[in-house]
Amino acid sequence: MNQVLSSLGFGIVTASILLPAAVGFTLQFSATNVLNIGFGSQMTLAAFMGYVCTSHGLNLWLALVLAGVFGALTSVVLNRALLTPFLRRGTTFFGMIVITIALSLVLEYSIEAIWGPQSVFYPLPPGGVVHIAGMTFTPDQLVIIGIGIVIALATHALLRYTRTGKAMRAVASNASLASASGVPAQRIVDLAWLLSGFMGGAAGVMLGISISSVSFTMGDTMLIEIIAAAVLGGVGKVYGAMLGALVIGVLLEESAIVLSGAYAPISAFAVLILVLLVRPTGLFASSAASVKGVAA
Amino acid sequence: MSYYVTVMLMYVLIGVISAWGLNLQFGETGVLNFAFIVFVAAGAYTTGVLSLGHPGHGGYQQYFWGAAWPWPLPWIASTVVGGLLGLAVGAISLRRLRGDYQAMVMLVVSLIATYLVSANVGFLNGQVGLALIPAPFQGSLHLSTLGYRWFYLGLTAAFTLLVYEVMRRITNSPLGRRLRAVRENEAAAVALGTNVVATRLLTMFVGGAVAALAGAIEVQFVGAWAPSGWTYPETFGLFAAVLVGGRGNLGGVAVGALLVQGLFLEGTVLLPNIGSPDLIGAVQWITMGVMIMVFMWFRPQGVIPERRKVFDGGGAATRARRFRLPLVPSKVGGGARG
Repeated sequence: MNQVLSSLGFGIVTASILLPAAVGFTLQFSATNVLNIGFGSQMTLAAFMGYVCTSHGLNLWLALVLAGVFGALTSVVLNRALLTPFLRRGTTFFGMIVITIALSLVLEYSIEAIWGPQSVFYPLPPGGVVHIAGMTFTPDQLVIIGIGIVIALATHALLRYTRTGKAMRAVASNASLASASGVPAQRIVDLAWLLSGFMGGAAGVMLGISISSVSFTMGDTMLIEIIAAAVLGGVGKVYGAMLGALVIGVLLEESAIVLSGAYAPISAFAVLILVLLVRPTGLFASSAASVKGVAA
Repeated sequence: MSYYVTVMLMYVLIGVISAWGLNLQFGETGVLNFAFIVFVAAGAYTTGVLSLGHPGHGGYQQYFWGAAWPWPLPWIASTVVGGLLGLAVGAISLRRLRGDYQAMVMLVVSLIATYLVSANVGFLNGQVGLALIPAPFQGSLHLSTLGYRWFYLGLTAAFTLLVYEVMRRITNSPLGRRLRAVRENEAAAVALGTNVVATRLLTMFVGGAVAALAGAIEVQFVGAWAPSGWTYPETFGLFAAVLVGGRGNLGGVAVGALLVQGLFLEGTVLLPNIGSPDLIGAVQWITMGVMIMVFMWFRPQGVIPERRKVFDGGGAATRARRFRLPLVPSKVGGGARG
């Protein structure tokens, strides 16, 4: 029982890191219909910018915010300078996947060329442990959980209670109809890239804090976890991504009790595939999602 | 130098075979198999286990079972394993899922496979991988090391021709037309009575078998195989080869494999020594990423594009030429999906 609780603690931390990343990934995918394989590398790049900030003596949490801002800006610039021109040229949905794959290669190995193949470390303040309901956390982990919750609530507030959020949902469900109804689609698309870059960047630093090191391949595995969370919830469903992040995060850690540590990641992904066999469009998908389809 | 040439030619030929397998799935049929490298790995492990002999007597590496079969048998077994694995993965991911989900599930499958093999040391020696895999006839031919390499290269070239012939026959047959129909317009293919799922599964079977053959050839050349050599980004290199060369064109795909495997990845060896080996590796991958983007921008159809095929008895083609009508009815059923 004790073990279940302590693993649950780890699971919540993992889920809190996964949540912003999965929400960002999903927000951007639903608004732009570009499946961004480069997301993991963008996260890693932001995490390294966080490292640069801390190595210049900045506070870790300030570095996290700055890395988020950096992630947001690179995301917008990459979209404007690289992806949008390809879309204008008529590159197909699958062609765009290939472009983002290429982008991911360039980013990931540029990081290796600049910072080298070894991991770098954030200066983590030494701290005690906090016991909450049988679970043990370090103060850093509590802050990470806090950030995860704040981002979830902020996303909810944005989508439900603001005009911009309404416009984003409109673009996500039907871009051409939204455009015809006077929604400034280009601005919404920019905003989606901005938000996803920010959330990805923040998540990159949070992951770096949680596993206490940052390496250039860090985004590879994380990307698959993000995709698993997004697919589990239903592609393009922001609330689904939140739920997916929670399920995948907790499963990744809880399954380590039953299985030996090395097998734990497999179980989370196996659950994903099982769910998809029963519900092919994810947990949260409505019938509208299956109608929308993708521009092949 | 001669030694280096054999290595490079081997990698190009292995790349060409794998790229043709992927081309059948992605180029002809439009199946986004992002787990393609898993099938290469399956073939490599099968041949490895079937030529290493029974595990245990050495003790330095563990694997679940082994035999020392004579040469063509491990390769045949590899293609069978690759094909069946293709069917299994296809049955999970291609039956009910939409295109974008399929692509993502394939990525997840690729990662699961890497984890499974890495985590279980008793299965295929875990993270360290198999080593000292014997090459066919090496003991009985009494050739010099270099001479044997040329022999093995010849063997590989023969199998490359075999795969080419199989691929050519598939793509030029009515089956090939069915594959392209599924790629171009799924709804129309269904309406004409094509079983889309069965068609995709068939390409998973054949493509998986071809991938496994490439893996089998590679593993007996290199002599070792470990999870770090087949992580999911490796699949992207093969996608690059297919796209750069020209999806749907066998000659084009071969040129793409030559460019990507030979020039982008191996060609950087010819660069002046710029620094640590890590840096050279990084530069190779960056070059590849940039080249993919450049090719997608200037030649999205590839170096040698797919030939346009028109099957309508000539009437429509003549009419289309005369009145400048579009040959292919664009976006049939597009309204229902938009």
